[in-house]
Amino acid sequence: MLMPAAVLVFIVLGAIAVDFAVAFLGEREVSNAAAAAANDAAGAALDQTRFYADGALRLDPVRAASVGRSSVRAAGLDHLGDVDVRVAVDRDAPVVTVTVSARVGYVFAKALPGGPDGVTVEASATATAEEQD
Amino acid sequence: MRLSEERGAVGGFEVLPFGFLVFVAGTLLLTNAWAVVDGKVAVTAAAREAARAYVESPGPAGTALEQATVAARGAIQGHGRDPARMRLAPVGPLAFRRCARVTFEVTYEVATINVPWLGSLGGGVVGTSARHSEVVDPYRSDVPLGWDGGVRCDA
Repeated sequence: MLMPAAVLVFIVLGAIAVDFAVAFLGEREVSNAAAAAANDAAGAALDQTRFYADGALRLDPVRAASVGRSSVRAAGLDHLGDVDVRVAVDRDAPVVTVTVSARVGYVFAKALPGGPDGVTVEASATATAEEQD
Repeated sequence: MRLSEERGAVGGFEVLPFGFLVFVAGTLLLTNAWAVVDGKVAVTAAAREAARAYVESPGPAGTALEQATVAARGAIQGHGRDPARMRLAPVGPLAFRRCARVTFEVTYEVATINVPWLGSLGGGVVGTSARHSEVVDPYRSDVPLGWDGGVRCDA
């Protein structure tokens, strides 16, 4: 009985390793999407009215949210579930933080009795708009 | 000690080859799954590098696309994969102007091993793909404006 049990344990451990790698990959994907969205929002959501009025670099929260969501939508995260995007703009500085969360489905764990079918991953990225001479 | 008591000493031996086969099949299945995951990691990095290279390129459009291709191939190669099996394609319009949204999709075909009882996954080749999208900086110097002469982001 030891041999089949050992084989089963080995395969289950391997399956866990693959599932964790899939979860880590999903986290990397949402992290990339968050970084790109923050970068896009910091550049494209500059409040031009405020800039031309008093020269201050500030971001338009509505515009930042629109650009951020658009960027994540274009990132091709369709294979992940429950993709959620949160965009927060600093009122006193041209800083935007984009947080993306999503549900990553496991490959092997759901085949095990009582095993989880996936995990929720989340990543945040912050970008600052800066003026260069 | 009687000989008859030792009969059970080799009982269950016949299951060992079966266990070994399950072990081999399970290992190959995991190897295939890992290869696909590893391929996905590579294409994710390649798509990101391609989009970054394009939006950061000094231009013009042809050079930007060339730099995106070089960056994607470099990322694939850096992950120990064959760049010849990679396909890089823009998703949607590809415009090199300020505020244009640029999306690249990288596809890579991962070869899989034939698994006993299960056969080969995806007919021996599993395609993995990833996308990355970025906006060309709206306030960059030396990058053309939009068709109407203004800066309008493709949100």
